[in-house]
Amino acid sequence: MSGQSFTQEWWLQRISATVIGLYALLVIALLIINGTPTFAQWQALFNNTAFKAFTLLALIATFYHGLIGVLHVWPDYVKNALVRSALNAYSWLAAAAYSLWAVYILFFLK
Amino acid sequence: MSEQSLQKTKARPVYRNIGMGDLANYRLPIIGVASIVHRITGVALFVAIIALLPMLQMSLKSEAGFEAFRTMIWGNLFAKIVLISLLFAIVYHLVAGVRHMIQDGNKWLDLSAARSTATAAFVISAVVTAAVAWRLVA
Repeated sequence: MSGQSFTQEWWLQRISATVIGLYALLVIALLIINGTPTFAQWQALFNNTAFKAFTLLALIATFYHGLIGVLHVWPDYVKNALVRSALNAYSWLAAAAYSLWAVYILFFLK
Repeated sequence: MSEQSLQKTKARPVYRNIGMGDLANYRLPIIGVASIVHRITGVALFVAIIALLPMLQMSLKSEAGFEAFRTMIWGNLFAKIVLISLLFAIVYHLVAGVRHMIQDGNKWLDLSAARSTATAAFVISAVVTAAVAWRLVA
């Protein structure tokens, strides 16, 4: 798919899933315990360095996991080579742009 | 001999790929539904990131942005339905993913376990989604 071995890809898909899953459970637990946050609570949460780092890790893991996922899904339904190439290109570009965007939101937003 | 003549009278089974046109008459078992919904939620979430990142940015930018999110987006019934559906997609994709990884370990692969855990994945996801949505709406 991307040159790396399928075994490596299989493991990375599950490792990224575990990271995303733990992050999702943390956020779901916070929302259930706290309810809708106020802006001050929301800002304080995202100013916490550990939470910020976990957020960045989980977002990058999400974009990678999603990219590998859709690259496996497109060829099952799209038989036209040109459309498939366009979808693959869109997926790679989206994952790369999402990653840069996430870094911007978490570290350079002013 | 007798087995051979019996086979001749039976119509030979036809195995073929199922096309989009057959979808309406094809009864997908709950295990298949769990599988295809895992796929659909995965693709939907990858595509939805393009809308979710600007919402995160808006909510963190300023108190005005945070309030604008609450009134303009969360305050809109249609947007709220879309966001709660995405919440269900996140929770279901996670629960079905955990089931998938347990099945990677050769567990829950027999028919009855595969069926009951597929059903459980939907029930658990619906309950968790309802709990979070209730806390956010209240």
